[in-house]
Amino acid sequence: MTPVLEIRELNKAFGGLQVIQDLDLAVSSEEIVSIIGPNGAGKTTLFNMITGVYVPDSGDIIMEGDSIVGLAPHKIADRGIARTFQTLRVFLNMTVKENVMTAEYGATKARAWQSALRTPKARREERDIAQLAEEKLAFFGDRLMGYRWDQPAYSLSYANRRRLEIARATATNPTLLLLDEPAAGMNPAETQEMTQLIGRLRVEAGYSILVIEHDMHVVEGISDRVIALDHGLKIAEGTFDDVATAPQVIEAYLGYGAAKK
Amino acid sequence: MEFFLQQTLNGLTLGSVYALLAIGYSMVYGILKLLNFAHGEVYMFGAFAGYGVLTLLGGPASPVVPVWLLLILMFAGSMVVSSGIGVAMERFAYRPLRNSSRIAPLISAIGVSFFLQASALFLFSAGFRTYETPKLIDISTGVTVGPIHVWLVRVLVIVGTAVVMVALTLWVNRSRTGKAVRAVSFDREAAEMMGVDVNHVIVVTFLIGSALAGISGVMTALVFGRIFHFMGFIAGLKAFTAAVVGGIGSIPGAMLGGLLIGMAEAYTTGYISSTFQNLIVFGLLILVLLIKPTGLLGKAQLVKV
Amino acid sequence: MPESSHPPETPPPDPVEGGEAPTGIGVDEWVARSGESDQGYRGLTAPARRAFDHLAPGWRLAIAALAAATVPYLVKPGGVRIAIGILILAMLALGLNVVVGWAGLLDLGFVAFFGFGAYFYAIVASEQLPAHWPTWIALPIIVFFSGALGVLVSLATRRLVGDYLAILTLFFSLIFVEIVRNFQRLPFVSEDLNLTGGPNGIPGVDPWDFFGFTINTFNRHYYVLLALIVLLIIALHNLSSSRTGRAWRAIRDDVLAAEHMTMPVNNLMLLAFAAGAAIAGFTGTIFAAVTVGVFPTSFTLVFLITIYSAVILGGSGSIPGVLLGALVIGYLPELLRSPRLAGGLFYFGLLVALVLLIKPRQRLVAVLGGVVVFGYAVRLVAAAIWPDAITGTAAEGFISRLLDGWVLILGENVRIITNVAFIAAIAGALAVTVVKGWWQVAVLIPTIYLGILVWENRLVFQPSLTRQLLFGALLVIMMAVRPQGLLGKKRVEIT
Repeated sequence: MTPVLEIRELNKAFGGLQVIQDLDLAVSSEEIVSIIGPNGAGKTTLFNMITGVYVPDSGDIIMEGDSIVGLAPHKIADRGIARTFQTLRVFLNMTVKENVMTAEYGATKARAWQSALRTPKARREERDIAQLAEEKLAFFGDRLMGYRWDQPAYSLSYANRRRLEIARATATNPTLLLLDEPAAGMNPAETQEMTQLIGRLRVEAGYSILVIEHDMHVVEGISDRVIALDHGLKIAEGTFDDVATAPQVIEAYLGYGAAKK
Repeated sequence: MEFFLQQTLNGLTLGSVYALLAIGYSMVYGILKLLNFAHGEVYMFGAFAGYGVLTLLGGPASPVVPVWLLLILMFAGSMVVSSGIGVAMERFAYRPLRNSSRIAPLISAIGVSFFLQASALFLFSAGFRTYETPKLIDISTGVTVGPIHVWLVRVLVIVGTAVVMVALTLWVNRSRTGKAVRAVSFDREAAEMMGVDVNHVIVVTFLIGSALAGISGVMTALVFGRIFHFMGFIAGLKAFTAAVVGGIGSIPGAMLGGLLIGMAEAYTTGYISSTFQNLIVFGLLILVLLIKPTGLLGKAQLVKV
Repeated sequence: MPESSHPPETPPPDPVEGGEAPTGIGVDEWVARSGESDQGYRGLTAPARRAFDHLAPGWRLAIAALAAATVPYLVKPGGVRIAIGILILAMLALGLNVVVGWAGLLDLGFVAFFGFGAYFYAIVASEQLPAHWPTWIALPIIVFFSGALGVLVSLATRRLVGDYLAILTLFFSLIFVEIVRNFQRLPFVSEDLNLTGGPNGIPGVDPWDFFGFTINTFNRHYYVLLALIVLLIIALHNLSSSRTGRAWRAIRDDVLAAEHMTMPVNNLMLLAFAAGAAIAGFTGTIFAAVTVGVFPTSFTLVFLITIYSAVILGGSGSIPGVLLGALVIGYLPELLRSPRLAGGLFYFGLLVALVLLIKPRQRLVAVLGGVVVFGYAVRLVAAAIWPDAITGTAAEGFISRLLDGWVLILGENVRIITNVAFIAAIAGALAVTVVKGWWQVAVLIPTIYLGILVWENRLVFQPSLTRQLLFGALLVIMMAVRPQGLLGKKRVEIT
């Protein structure tokens, strides 16, 4: 069975700094793969290359059999890759529901003039968009429901913004979800909930998921497979237990600092 | 050849004036990322302040002090008035908007510009005034280089500008405050965390930029004569063009841009027609921006994802 | 950090936010309540305003349009001309709002598209070529080419972000005026062909004419414009809540995130630019027909700033907002044209500002009483030692005559003193914003007095200057007090 996403010998350097080095990676259908590694290991750069923000220096990124290297981010999103951002980039001045509705842009067709004239087709489409957005938001239980639909996103709490970002990402109708530190900044209870939620995303919605995460409880709780990066190099791959106990991973996290002190 | 030299000289004079004015735009942009459209008005008030000093001290025909002292006092007076307006503008129009959206200070700047222009109209009425410099300094005094004669006032402008630029460069690179200015324009938050007094730096920036605008105003009036309430708009636009061509935010860029725009204007007037002067200058700007979006000496900003 | 951009009213994260809050009612709830309380109007007009808010947008538009339709019956013919000017401004503001308010693109070339449409129409519908294209043919062609020009400018600037876009488009505006002013004829074409008329512009432009129905009176212009604006509002309202409108607003908030959420941002920006340009070009044709001519001076930066002011003042991003902005910005100068009305407005504005800004009532009374006493005291002293100070003639109008016995009306020969008073009044007004408590009162009293002195002696006689002065001050104050505009929503931005 072909993997959903396959990355082959990916390389990227900024100036003289090699950020990603000969990276191979694959995500199968409905698999959850976690990427761990210390700060500056190249994790977010990897996401940026998959989603088309950066073009790799060499190597290939293959989504469901087709190379997506060189495509614009919105085209890649259309191909079924959706992401969230480490730094939280919800559309702050739009309402919660609108945030999710925007993400259906690529899947809808009404031209501007059709919308302006409110043709039957545009109206039908608009109804569908709203309905789909409500469904996506309902996935999070009561968290983003009811009156919150019409609240501006800036009024949401930090944890709810993270949830909203995920809801928005799922609204692009993706095959593969890239989650960049979904549990960052959350308290233990929220982290626990996020862990369950990621599991549900796979089981109930059938997404393949690639996660960057620092919280080892989350990584342990969700991952089918874990990949450790350090300075752009893959230093370990396998089950959580294998990777977490691998000496080179421990060294990457603790080694240099501890050794120098 | 003689004609060419003459035009070059014109361009150099004009360019000096623009460069001094452009530095103010660039410095403020560098620090606040604000297009200070009211900068031209500061320049206009500088020119009027110089005129005020001149009139108070007996006028061009019968000054009560020696000419050299008169000139110094005129420059000093214009610098005081200009920098006062500049600092007040920052304190009352821009500081309250420091953390608001990008467009608010821009609109505020336009408001300040309108207000200052109307104030000038109120205070000085709509007519033209002139420094009548030839009465102060005989047009025949100066230096003769080959076939052309350079009037002393032009020498003064060109040399004066060069001195100011060297001093400014030294100040920015060597002095404590100058380094702080550079630090703030590079990254305001980081500079603040490192203990730089950002408010102080911003005030100093406005002070210096406005003082330079004042100098530029007096220089313009000395060489080209006429001053009027609308002069800041046109000159401000040209200097703004210069700042953008050179790379807005960059002080050497502003100097280079000013000279370039001055030259372009002089050659256009000399060889083509003054009708196309603005068109060529603005076209030059668009060309530069399309080829190098950040201007000649500007640096691209990194955007973190 | 995103948290630092929280508005102050956002509460700290609730500790129970997590697994233990089964009801799902967490920290955000009170935001909803505070949002509702924003709608809580006070005062006599509150029921009417609340009722207006509860109406469907369609009904609100219908009521507003009907009210606007009565205008020609209520005002003098000259008033209709002013109303036409306001409608033209409103139409431009609606167009600019698409580009700036929704897509967030700082398009300073907007006025050039307006000029392009106006000149295009003037050239093809006058003795200039001569050509007299039928209106129904000229309009679609002009709208198309205005939009196409918008696309071109947008393509040229697509690599530029933020301020550089603003700068480049600004110079596009400047160049446009330079071209129409200086290129009377195209290069390499017959000498006799005078395209733009240079500084003199193009006079004698045809009125709109649809198959014999000529739109050539003020009233006809007014109603045609009103109908067009209503249609435009409906179209834009529909658009704003469609996928395209949402995508524009998303781009304004965060370009990168929008692109990751399947939005082709370059095309959308192009579309916004083109839509704005097309609306501007279309408005230009009306403008040329209404004014029966086009002149380079109509399309300068001053007018660009006027359009921007309307959008910003009313509330960028909000359709009712920009309409209100156009109404205020379009009508205010007319109001200030007559010294009597301007005076009324000045004193009314002054009083309202004082009542709103000075909080304890006794302090307000102290300021008002203080000004009155201060005025009489100054007058008494001046009358005794400086007779020139009261020999002037007061301006026309009820208020000015009333104040004649109180404020100094300087004689012609000493009127120059008002320059000092002017500077002192500005300095005082600025100082008021800095000092606190009773010091404020102490500064306010002479400041207000000097302001009135300057007004009665000079400004009342110089309406155009006053207009510019107040306009400038208005923009600055507006930005400091309410940057989102009268009807705009407060925005949160991450920098």
